Amino acid sequence: MSQVAHIFQIAAKDLQIEARSRQTIGLIIVLGVLIVVVLGLGLGTGGRVEGMRATAILWVAYLFGGALCFEKTMAVEAYDGALAGLMLAPVDRGSIYLGKLLANLALMLAMALVVTPVGVVMFRFDLSVAPAGFIVVMALSMLGFAAVGTLFAAAVTSSRLQGGLLAVLIFPLCLPLVIASTQQMLGMFEEGRALAGPGLGLLIAFDIIFIAASWLVFEALLEP
Amino acid sequence: MTFPRFLAPLFWGATIALLAGALLMAVFYAPIEQTMGPVQKIFYLHMPVALTTFAACFVVFAARIGYLWQRQPVWDDLAQAGDQVSVLFASIVLITGMIWAKQAWGHWWTWSPRLTFSLILWLLYVVYLMVRQSIESPDRRALVCAVYGVIAFLDVPLVYFSTKLLPDVHPASIELAPEMRQTLLVWLLVAPIVCGGFIVARYRLFRLARATGAQS
Repeated sequence: MSQVAHIFQIAAKDLQIEARSRQTIGLIIVLGVLIVVVLGLGLGTGGRVEGMRATAILWVAYLFGGALCFEKTMAVEAYDGALAGLMLAPVDRGSIYLGKLLANLALMLAMALVVTPVGVVMFRFDLSVAPAGFIVVMALSMLGFAAVGTLFAAAVTSSRLQGGLLAVLIFPLCLPLVIASTQQMLGMFEEGRALAGPGLGLLIAFDIIFIAASWLVFEALLEP
Repeated sequence: MTFPRFLAPLFWGATIALLAGALLMAVFYAPIEQTMGPVQKIFYLHMPVALTTFAACFVVFAARIGYLWQRQPVWDDLAQAGDQVSVLFASIVLITGMIWAKQAWGHWWTWSPRLTFSLILWLLYVVYLMVRQSIESPDRRALVCAVYGVIAFLDVPLVYFSTKLLPDVHPASIELAPEMRQTLLVWLLVAPIVCGGFIVARYRLFRLARATGAQS
């Protein structure tokens, strides 16, 4: 029980810092909207972008917004010996990882709540075909992405090329998520299939494998 | 690892002779395939190199696990050597595959499962090289690479199954004439030897660099 409490405490601490500084959330929302606009203009304006492309565009916005978010929530630990303090705290190091993951997910969710309607409106994407399916697939993808991102954010905090490096590290790892969720979305929105099948299984497998693996190896990466 | 001095030239001499023989076999001994023509001969290079790449990736993975377990720089050097050779071999697989695809299907690239799989694998291993350049502290670098290596290796089956969701154009199985099979077998022997030679050579170089303090 206490371990669950620790996880929520750590997540709450990160979210409290964020609530006071409001640095990350504004940044990732604006970045997400910008990506949607840039890709919308790049792919041709005037409603000529087919509905399905909206999911791909939203994916790109989530990916880049997420990468920034993971970096920021880990970077707050770099100041004033915060990371050393966190490591000295009598909590399991795995709990630190899960707490950070939870905070990242909350921030990404907040971003998605703004960016998704923007994308849906701009590309006239008919979300009413399978709204529950859309939410489930995106939530599972985000969970897997955040699982990998949170782990490697801890890895790159002490390296020279922070910004670009995190994206380079986690994007290739998350390509299975992109493939599986895109195929799942195609099935649901274009072919009218139900939310099931190998794509969904793969998303769940990805989430389980990487949350478990990250939880195990996170401790090795923490270094004040 | 210390070898007698004469061993390296002997090994490379024999390997180059073997490689030349394999090339001659592919060009002159193996018959020309009926539907695809001479371009099919790229297969003798393509397929064995692809298999060897998987083996090299496994060497990297084993070395990364070894590092996480024992934290000895020896493992990092082996992994680094294996990674560089993996990227080289995966690049050969991609390039030969694209040349072949252009001739067989008329496009340099299609998003077929196996092409996508090879591409993602190549990306996963190229990232190592980037990580190496980006992290200054050798211990930290080795650690981040080790963690990345384990995660990337876990990713490989997921990449494989996710690419299975894409529509396929690759042949499931190929009928081979006896001469073709013999040529293929020779290449299946040559590719791992060259790969192993490269890995050992790189590994020895990294060990020497570490011993003399020349490591970047």
